[in-house]
Amino acid sequence: MSQPAKFFGTALTFSGALSAALLLIAIIMLSLDKAPIAAGQRFLEGAIGTPSARADVVMAALPMLLCAAGLLLTFTAGLWNIGVEGQVTMGAIFATIIARTIPRDVSDWGVLAALILPAELLLAMFGGALWAGLAALLKIRGGINEIFGGVALNFISVNILLSLVNGPWRVGTFPQTAPFAPAALLPRHPELRLSPLAIVIALTAFVVVFVALRGTRFGLALRAIGRNARSAGILGVRVERNIFWAMVACGALAGLAGAFQALFTRGRLLPNISGGIGFMGVLIVLLVGVRAAWVLPVALFIATVPVGSLKLATSLDSSVQIDAALGNVFQGALVLAVLIGSGIRARLAARRKEQFEHG
Amino acid sequence: MHVELRDITKTFGNLRANDALSLSFAEGRIYALLGENGAGKSTLMKILSGYQPPDSGHILIDGQVVTFETPADALRCGIGMLHQDPLDVPNLTVLDNFMLGRHEGLLPKRKAAREALEAHAARLGFHLDPFRYVDSLTIGERQQLEIVRLLSLGARLLILDEPTTGISAEQKHTLFSSLKRLAAQEGMTIILVSHKLEDVAALCEEVYVLRGGKLVGHRLMPTPIDELVTLMFGQSLPRPSRGAHSLGEEILCVESVSLTARRLTVRDLSLSVRSGEVIGLAGLDGSGQSDFLRACAGLQPINSGQILINGVSIRGKSYAELLRMGVAYAPSGRLEEGLIDGLTLAEHFALARDSGIWIKWREAVALAARQIAHYNIRGAPHSPVQTLSGGNQQRTLIALLPDNLRLLLLEDPTRGLDVESTAWVWQQLLARRDAGAAILFTSPDLDEIVTYSDRVLVFCEGRATLVTDLDNLTRNPAERLGELIGGRSL
Repeated sequence: MSQPAKFFGTALTFSGALSAALLLIAIIMLSLDKAPIAAGQRFLEGAIGTPSARADVVMAALPMLLCAAGLLLTFTAGLWNIGVEGQVTMGAIFATIIARTIPRDVSDWGVLAALILPAELLLAMFGGALWAGLAALLKIRGGINEIFGGVALNFISVNILLSLVNGPWRVGTFPQTAPFAPAALLPRHPELRLSPLAIVIALTAFVVVFVALRGTRFGLALRAIGRNARSAGILGVRVERNIFWAMVACGALAGLAGAFQALFTRGRLLPNISGGIGFMGVLIVLLVGVRAAWVLPVALFIATVPVGSLKLATSLDSSVQIDAALGNVFQGALVLAVLIGSGIRARLAARRKEQFEHG
Repeated sequence: MHVELRDITKTFGNLRANDALSLSFAEGRIYALLGENGAGKSTLMKILSGYQPPDSGHILIDGQVVTFETPADALRCGIGMLHQDPLDVPNLTVLDNFMLGRHEGLLPKRKAAREALEAHAARLGFHLDPFRYVDSLTIGERQQLEIVRLLSLGARLLILDEPTTGISAEQKHTLFSSLKRLAAQEGMTIILVSHKLEDVAALCEEVYVLRGGKLVGHRLMPTPIDELVTLMFGQSLPRPSRGAHSLGEEILCVESVSLTARRLTVRDLSLSVRSGEVIGLAGLDGSGQSDFLRACAGLQPINSGQILINGVSIRGKSYAELLRMGVAYAPSGRLEEGLIDGLTLAEHFALARDSGIWIKWREAVALAARQIAHYNIRGAPHSPVQTLSGGNQQRTLIALLPDNLRLLLLEDPTRGLDVESTAWVWQQLLARRDAGAAILFTSPDLDEIVTYSDRVLVFCEGRATLVTDLDNLTRNPAERLGELIGGRSL
């Protein structure tokens, strides 16, 4: 199929799936006696109507982008790194190890003050990589499928998080740490809730992954492993080593995403620090079918949903006020619709090919 | 049942795979459909067995025109096809597989099915344990299961597509004698699709020869092999001969190795292989010869003993490390274990030959183009490898092998290839040998082993016996090997 036709097909699939998901949400809202059109307008306004809303969308997209970038590596190698959620959590915990010890006033720290943020981010990457490395070792040495290892490690990471914020790290009545000092946080744009540094880091990470997949031996090896690990081994690829490093790299990026959550979005460590962004990353990669170029726009699009639905949830107008959970329903429905659409497309393509061969 | 094909034509794009073919198959006779790869044999048999419709032409059964929409339609009319790779469900038992495709309502009668299975198997002289899982069977046993299943479903005409690929000499013997009995005593019609002339000579009564989609000959057996070869290829091929060559230093040294194969343990295996030597590994399917190859490649652990390559023990070394020491392993399943479905030829060359962090795509494409020309592969650097034909995939596998190899470990290197491609593959391999490499290979084809090996290691019942005096054997060496494989003592 020609390139423009392919692009057109992809766009058609996406818009069809989007319409289906919107239709579903509209039906749900009508059954609740809400006004879907007005809610849609309010949603768009809330998500992209103002500079501050747009900044919120961008900042919500960044951790998802980091997770999705990491997951591109593992999915390419045929690994279902469901443990990404735990890797995000560990990243947030490891960043907090430093962040919670930083005092409000660091004016007498001199050069050391400039090292706080890099140290936090590196430690967060280490934490995520550690968790992913464990899942990788379980797979390589123990023969445990990365999905099961990942689910178990997710569970453990959540409990480590809860025991910390309920125990030694708890400050005040709620199970959470104290807000971090400004010097420990990602630097903020003076007017908007936006961190230019975070944007630079996330985009750089994405570009590095993109280039690694396209142009390096590592990327080609991962593609080979994902398609046929046995053949890849016979061609001289060190399968286990590449699997390990793909997982570790994904874990490091997920850990970075966790640090963004703790050091910017929340500004402290609290339960559910990840907020499911690891799974969002999985959804994004599934949505785009591991085609790296589509990750960026889709991540931005997905990020409008929580931001916009939060505006709806806090609206005073009862005709559009709905629970923010409906946003999750929309996301889920969208992913499902896209997957169904891709399935239909694949079938049509196969049928066309058959007709071509017989005709 | 008399089956007739009349003016069957089938085209794929510009290719006329079948060009107005008219063949006739009488009851109780054994036919061969002979032709090199791409001659149109498989296409024609797929049409006859209902897998695809012809563009034009008719199938007649006892004078009546029939049309098949699906293989099940063909089977209802008594036409069953045994595929080269048995179409069974590996993680079900023999009995479950046997029951698939039987129409018995919601609650299958297992007991009746088991009795039917055993009755059919006994009639054919096959031994099939109904409760074994199919993935633990050899290819030969899976074939037997498929034949039993087709017969129980009422097949009166049996098509066998390259049935002797991957089965042992003994299984072939059993298969052929049951087929002969089926034809002679029960009036079944058998069609053997093959490019193996010795099989055709051993089994068949009549031969149809296809070339380039056309019927070029119809002979009654016995017909001289040379005449059939001429029909198949348009000319007679000279049989390759083994020239004299010198042996160099020791490359592979195996010292009292014990290793576990699928169902048995091979004990006390010792062997020394020198540069320039070709060692054939013979044995029944699953007797440990493939496992031994994999062990030499570091792909399978050994229980005891040691394997030295260039004087260095390979214990704890990965295949990637051995590859760097000049050891290469080529498995028989090309797309399962060797090539990667979905990657292009250039990507394969980049993966196998390039090193360093960045991939030099331009060099990889240039290398692929050079190798394509050198190895006469029908494809382009950007062709996905799964679009190549089996013979061209085998050429690609050989083209991917690194230069300066010391030890080649090949599992059935000519599996499913026609005579011409086989000769070409061996020409390449022997060139490697002449450059100083040692070759170990397995093959179910004893003639291939006898033709190319300097020495033969015969695997039988957990022992490996070295046969060194191949040329001095007065009797037919392949027959002698067959006896050893079957477990007859010296």
